[in-house]
Amino acid sequence: MAKEFNPVVVTANDLVEGDSVFLGAFGWVRDIAAARVALSEGEAKVLETAGNEGENGNLVVGPYLIEVSVTNGQPVPVLRREQIRASGLPTMPFGLDVPVERRAA
Amino acid sequence: MYRYDEFDHRFVNERVAEFRDQVERRLTGALNEAEFKPLRLMNGLYLQLHAYMLRVAVPYGTLDSRQMRMLAHIAETWDKGYGHFTTRQNIQFNWPRLKDVPDILEALASVEMHAIQTSGNCIRNITSDPYSGVAPEEIEDPRITAEMLRQWSSLHPEFTYLGRKFKFAVTGSEHDRAAIKVHDIGIQIIRNEAGEVGYRVLVGGGLGRTPMIGKELRAFLPKADLLPYVEAALRVYNLHGRRDNKYKARIKILVHETGIDEFRAQVEHEFATMDRAAVTAPEGEMERIAAYFAPPELATKPPAPVEFERMQKLDPDFAQWVERNTYAHRVPGYAAATISLKPIGGAPGDATAEQMRVMADLAETYSVDAMRVTHEQNIVLPHVAIGDLYKLYRGLASIGLDMPNKGLVTDIIACPGLDYCALATARSIPVAQAISNRFADNKRQREIGPLSIKISGCINACGHHHIGHIGILGLDKAGVESYQITLGGESTEDARLGDRTGPGFGYDEVPGVVEKIIDTYLDLREGQRETFFQTYRRVGMEPFKEALYATAD
Amino acid sequence: MPQLIDRLGTAKDPWVTLGAEDVLPDSGAMIVPLERLAEALDAGLELGVHLPNDTDPAGLKPYFDRLSLISVGFPSFSDGRGFSIGHCLREFGFQGRLRATGPVISDQFDYLLACGFDEVSLPDSIAERQPLEHWAATPGRISLGYQRGLAGRGSILDARRAASYAAGRG
Repeated sequence: MAKEFNPVVVTANDLVEGDSVFLGAFGWVRDIAAARVALSEGEAKVLETAGNEGENGNLVVGPYLIEVSVTNGQPVPVLRREQIRASGLPTMPFGLDVPVERRAA
Repeated sequence: MYRYDEFDHRFVNERVAEFRDQVERRLTGALNEAEFKPLRLMNGLYLQLHAYMLRVAVPYGTLDSRQMRMLAHIAETWDKGYGHFTTRQNIQFNWPRLKDVPDILEALASVEMHAIQTSGNCIRNITSDPYSGVAPEEIEDPRITAEMLRQWSSLHPEFTYLGRKFKFAVTGSEHDRAAIKVHDIGIQIIRNEAGEVGYRVLVGGGLGRTPMIGKELRAFLPKADLLPYVEAALRVYNLHGRRDNKYKARIKILVHETGIDEFRAQVEHEFATMDRAAVTAPEGEMERIAAYFAPPELATKPPAPVEFERMQKLDPDFAQWVERNTYAHRVPGYAAATISLKPIGGAPGDATAEQMRVMADLAETYSVDAMRVTHEQNIVLPHVAIGDLYKLYRGLASIGLDMPNKGLVTDIIACPGLDYCALATARSIPVAQAISNRFADNKRQREIGPLSIKISGCINACGHHHIGHIGILGLDKAGVESYQITLGGESTEDARLGDRTGPGFGYDEVPGVVEKIIDTYLDLREGQRETFFQTYRRVGMEPFKEALYATAD
Repeated sequence: MPQLIDRLGTAKDPWVTLGAEDVLPDSGAMIVPLERLAEALDAGLELGVHLPNDTDPAGLKPYFDRLSLISVGFPSFSDGRGFSIGHCLREFGFQGRLRATGPVISDQFDYLLACGFDEVSLPDSIAERQPLEHWAATPGRISLGYQRGLAGRGSILDARRAASYAAGRG
């Protein structure tokens, strides 16, 4: 029985902004919902090559494949790390969104 | 504090121009990422999960109000309005854009700051005692030595492409607040029998995957020999340190595999045969640097002002803050005050631009414009007149940084973890927040007493969990966050690595686990004054293991 | 053909690197692999040797007066052992040409010079991406460092001392 292939997408970091991006149909996108999903080994290789072109073209840094599960047509990363990365934000309020408990001066 | 002369200024300005050029070459592709990465790392620029991260050097943690205000300006102009103070006395910005970084570095250079060598396989920030120049038992201000080392190690042509990062720490007191025993080279300022001031040099300490306590390399090193000696040690490391395996490339592995005696013999041989004069600082340089660290002129102040005593009686939170967060200065009438960056439920070590500005103002007004970042992610104002402590406290209260929790259970150290860091295997900040919320009550914290919790989000141990009284290490077990607990770590001259309790716990279980450990301690302690660490050393791991793992009924 | 770079610019390499299997000629400027050094000593060559960076440089001390050039290997630009090897060779008294061989980057040129190197031999793949202008632009980009190095420039500490002496404060 052939080993089941887990769908993958290509992700990388934008060279200038540094945020996580995904390879979409026409280029790099920030929303994983718009990422191209590879459903076979062959498609994955094509995606990988396209991802590397993004690095060679100085658009992105460090492209790699991540496993996703596709639910209602939406790719969701399998690993927690990639889920957090895809969200673009820490999991908790941070910086100026953390309430400061001031006591009267 | 040290002030740049024309040569120091030119050095950082040229460095900024160099990096600007390197960024441009990266953007055009003249440098590919593999080539650019070590260059950007040497300017403190990481690429993390969500963004670049810029780690700004705060040499031995020392900064003044002008510099703190610039950090606030950077946070607002090029980042998301806040910064994070680290366990190596530096500050990190989590959201800069690559093409803004040269401008940030230029802004830093204008206030004598930089991000040189805060990352990469080179010599990193020289860290030191936050009570430098304050501690009564101090033999000499360790920042003089730290500044000598800082200059010697900056863009050292021979040691810029080491096998791995290299960390120095210096203490001027026997009571070690710089954790020198867990650094690649740890230096203690001592007096020999003849009363001469010199150094005890330790080598091969470190945390991470294979934590080790440093071993004595030299029992007494005359001051004048400092730079040639460390150069000899670095040369031996650079030549013989392993390069085959990233996890075996620190000097601690070389010392461990070679044996300290053989390693020492190699260093002493290099030291004996090298051209020392070429490395030794010219005569007068150490004195020139020492002048910058001369004790500030502090006006004579009463040791126990009436108003101060009165406010302690009227305001019990202030009394607790005095008890926990102040440290008796060697000059009567003064104290060093710790600003806790651990508000209940906050991210340990974070400060907003507004908080930075208020801290800058308070330091300028109440602490002769001096501040230190501590490796416990707090800020120390070193020279505060006791009579000014209440006004300082009220100022801190206005920005929510008046927590009286220094050294207590909510004074947690945590690395950024999986919420920010590309190396992380688990989240650490939310774990710290949950524990902090669980123990929020001041009275309960006081009851528990001194207890340091340190949390690392991966095996690299940037949260220093090995040397926490309770250490928490977040790992990934088959896609699920699993937190290993260690007990009985200690970072001072009694340095010791924590002992593992056993199997790890899930993300949701950790606050409850910490509570169980603390309840066990409270049950077993001999009197109110026996600290968690003391109790643990007395009773050992068994009672805690039982409490955590005994099968549920 | 690898590119040779030194302080003066780029040059055609006057040296030929002998392969492990090649026949040893009886004249010319040859860089021989370390394991063939003994064989080459009496061959009447202008002699250079290639030292891989995991070899103790002290082993070459007996041959300094026979060697016109020592090439030190840099397997990758991130492997900085060669900097210490170069320094050691100079401290041991080697006065011939010191060459860094491997994929180093132009940003390392100053460091190489400060560690006693005279020249760099780059593989073609690197040479294409790092035109000579970058190499030429690097030395002196940081006009003075805190270390004296071996390139004869002195250090910030020296300059500082000289300046304060000149100002009458010395």
